[in-house]
Amino acid sequence: MSGGSAGLMQGIDTLTWAMKSNIIPDQEYLLQGSILDTHVEVLKHRLRGLCDNVDSGQETFQEREMVFAIQGTSSQPLHLRIRRPLEQQAECPWQLRYIGQPELGNRPTLVRSCYDIACSDNAVEFLTELGCRLEYEFVAKGFLFRKGRMKVTVSKIFKTLPPNPNLMGQESLEPLLASHLVELSVLAPSGNDAVADDMKNFAEQLKPLVMLDKIDPRRHGMLS
Amino acid sequence: MEAVMDAMPKPTLVIKFINPSVCTLTQNDLKTNSHFGNAKSGLSPKQQQTTASLLVGRLSSGSPAFPRLPIMANVAVTVETSGENQVVEVGYDGQEILAPPLTLAEHLAKQASKIDFEDPRDREEGLLRGDGSDDGDDLKDADLTEADETEDEDESDDPKSSATWPWEPVRNKLRDALTEMSVLADVITVATKECGKDPVTGNPKRYMVLDGPVQLEQGEGTGPRPYVSLLAKKKSLDGPAKILLAGAEHLKTLQSENKNNRTAQDFHFELLRLRQNWRLKKVLNTILGDLSYRTAGSQFKQSGVFEVVKSDENGPEGSAPPGAAATTPSGGHEDGSKGGAQKSALKVNVPSDLEGIAYIQVTIQTSQNEPEQLLSANLSDFGAFGANPPEMHWQKKLEAAQNVLFCKELFSQLAKEAIQLQAPIPHMVVGNQISASLFTDIQLIISLCHSTGSEKKGPARAIQSQLVHSHVLEHSLHQLLRLQHSRNINPDAPALSSAPIGISKRRRLAGPRAADRQSLIEMATQPTLLEQIIQQAQHVVLRLRTMFVLDTMARELKDPLISCHLGTLSSPIRTSVKVSIVTSGYDSILRTPLVIHVGEKQLTVVCKDGRVLHFSHEPQEFRDFIFCQISQHQINGVQALAKCMGWHVLSSSNNLGCGSVEPMGGATGCLLSNPAGDRFIAIRHIPPPQTSVWVSSAPCKDFYPGGVVKDRKWEKLPDSFQELRLDKMDGKNLLNKLELLMASLSGNDTPTIASNGSSFM
Repeated sequence: MSGGSAGLMQGIDTLTWAMKSNIIPDQEYLLQGSILDTHVEVLKHRLRGLCDNVDSGQETFQEREMVFAIQGTSSQPLHLRIRRPLEQQAECPWQLRYIGQPELGNRPTLVRSCYDIACSDNAVEFLTELGCRLEYEFVAKGFLFRKGRMKVTVSKIFKTLPPNPNLMGQESLEPLLASHLVELSVLAPSGNDAVADDMKNFAEQLKPLVMLDKIDPRRHGMLS
Repeated sequence: MEAVMDAMPKPTLVIKFINPSVCTLTQNDLKTNSHFGNAKSGLSPKQQQTTASLLVGRLSSGSPAFPRLPIMANVAVTVETSGENQVVEVGYDGQEILAPPLTLAEHLAKQASKIDFEDPRDREEGLLRGDGSDDGDDLKDADLTEADETEDEDESDDPKSSATWPWEPVRNKLRDALTEMSVLADVITVATKECGKDPVTGNPKRYMVLDGPVQLEQGEGTGPRPYVSLLAKKKSLDGPAKILLAGAEHLKTLQSENKNNRTAQDFHFELLRLRQNWRLKKVLNTILGDLSYRTAGSQFKQSGVFEVVKSDENGPEGSAPPGAAATTPSGGHEDGSKGGAQKSALKVNVPSDLEGIAYIQVTIQTSQNEPEQLLSANLSDFGAFGANPPEMHWQKKLEAAQNVLFCKELFSQLAKEAIQLQAPIPHMVVGNQISASLFTDIQLIISLCHSTGSEKKGPARAIQSQLVHSHVLEHSLHQLLRLQHSRNINPDAPALSSAPIGISKRRRLAGPRAADRQSLIEMATQPTLLEQIIQQAQHVVLRLRTMFVLDTMARELKDPLISCHLGTLSSPIRTSVKVSIVTSGYDSILRTPLVIHVGEKQLTVVCKDGRVLHFSHEPQEFRDFIFCQISQHQINGVQALAKCMGWHVLSSSNNLGCGSVEPMGGATGCLLSNPAGDRFIAIRHIPPPQTSVWVSSAPCKDFYPGGVVKDRKWEKLPDSFQELRLDKMDGKNLLNKLELLMASLSGNDTPTIASNGSSFM
């Protein structure tokens, strides 16, 4: 018993040390933009030329994201996201994600803390038990490219409609906008600001098609 | 007179005194004279020239007006102003464009500007000068003496009013001119005066010699004219010559380009093709390429930068048909044969350390003392030709260089791992050789062979390695590094688009599936290349040994037959062998199958009855096992045969505890009786296949009741067993012989052993 607790302490120590020495990639560097559906093919060609996964081609995905909120001690509610593949796959765990507030600073990209945890498929019940409340959910369908550490996702966001009896109880999807969301992101340890410059350079390459920029949703909220 | 003067080429005179200290007469002095003329007459330059010539003419002709001048030699010394008119421009063809001569009005204005009108005396003098200038026209005819007289008259007026006399500057100038002219006359006199003759040559002696062309052509009378005209012609020809030369040069380059046009086109054509296969970039004026595997996922530090240059020497084959050039890059091999015939317009310069040919040689040795080579594999075996021919096609050259780079990367990685790995028998890295022990007595030697062409490589080893060449290890070595490259560049795709990339699938599932520490550590460590190669080599050794054992046994043993089948589909570290032991002709009644899994360090054998046995790499263990299996097969075969024949198996054992101790395991045996129960056969089989068969019959013919066995019923017991001489019996194998034996011993009417079996007892 004592040995077990000692091992546990050792594990926590290691984790704390790792946290302190900034080796955990917990900062997401993000650039966002959008492109009209009609021009997605052009962007796809462009990305195919620029990115690494040429041999395998782009990887497509269809995922559902559920956003939960829980009121903590602070005034801001804590948001947690659960993302899962639309069609359940055995070897693909669900993902619980925490995204922090964007950091202030004069960097070329948005920087926010981000924790990804793979979880089992009963995570929704777990969060509900914790007292989280489902805020909204959406479905993203699109494709993914890699360029070194960078990840480019081009996805279309769908709204889920309540189950329709005409469609045999299946829920139907309705596109939110006539455009695709383009995201360029890198997960890196904090203080790794060279990444931001790389991303900016890469974003320049996509310039006439997509204007990737740092977009702060809070500010947008204020504007609207 | 003027016409004659015009026809004359403008002469120039250079007077050089032998002794410069005597006197210097410069052009400026002459100019002064001409000024005098100009000031007096206001003539145009041509007229001035004429005037000066006239003056000279008088000098030369020894006019009586110059009493002080002696009669001069017949050298016509012409004196004139230096530059007739100002040269504005010199054309390319040597033509000088001169400023137009001053008109009379302009000249007057120029002269007038020199007069100080502020001076009142000067103004008075202006009137007098007007007379003077009027006289100027007459000056042509007037001789110098007259001018001198006028001066003298002026001088006579001078003492009274030297300060006020307006003609003073003119007078002074005239006087100076006169002085100079006198000096010139003296000089010429001195120069022309002979003072005796040279006793040797007979040439007249002179105190002063006028140097220059004048003297040289003195005798010809024509004077300096041909030379001067030659100079002028030369000068004017110079310009056109230059233009022509420039044009010719241009034409030459055009022509040579035309000739090389084929090459230039080829160069761009080949550059295009080069770009299709290799990474190129332009840095300033050079084209650089990269042949490293970095884009393919390699993390090797050494750079593979090469330079692309235009092949400057173009041989006669340079103008090969374009069709031949078009086939070059696609077919590397066919190109090799053509390489000598056709010279490429493009040349690549690879770094010197990537030149030559490299390969990695893998050798498996039984021990250090006797390097008996079991197997050796070559990675990209170029053994036959040691050095690159200097004129190699770029494609082949780059491929060779890339191969060198690949081999170096592979070797450096293996060497690094060899040092890091903690093996029971430590790996050794010496120079270009890594040795690792596979088993206690077997070593794996990986060596990097790099021949740069200049040095000779060890030929013995190359020849040896060519004898035994395994494509499997060669392929494995390639594959291992390339797999690693591909893993570097292609990490597992994120399962979800928002998940971080570069996390393997197993690690992703570790959380939800609650992986323990041990499995997490396993995930973090990957087997190194060296470990994998060692594993494969161990497997190769073990497989070879297994095959060897089975093959020799199958060859040596005829009685039961051993057949084995190696699976064609195998992994580099696992092979399965199916062995079946059958007796010829009796395979329907018994067959003993075995499955052998050849691993890295041990053999796993699955027997017929489902037992799983493990054997070490020592071949003797496996050999013994096969012998045991043969024994069991024979005894089992006999039992199966007995069943068919209706005989009874009284007892059987795979490990007989009785009898003499055998060198290899225990003996196998069984005891059979005929259906009537009065004939018995005992069979004993010992591992080096050797069978002994004993027979006996009941009732016992020589039963005598004794003290212990008194009852008559014991006479039913069989006789003592008698051994048969199997080699004398008919039948091609043991089962066949026993079948015959059983057939003869079955039934009551069968002949007795004494009558029947005696023949082979």
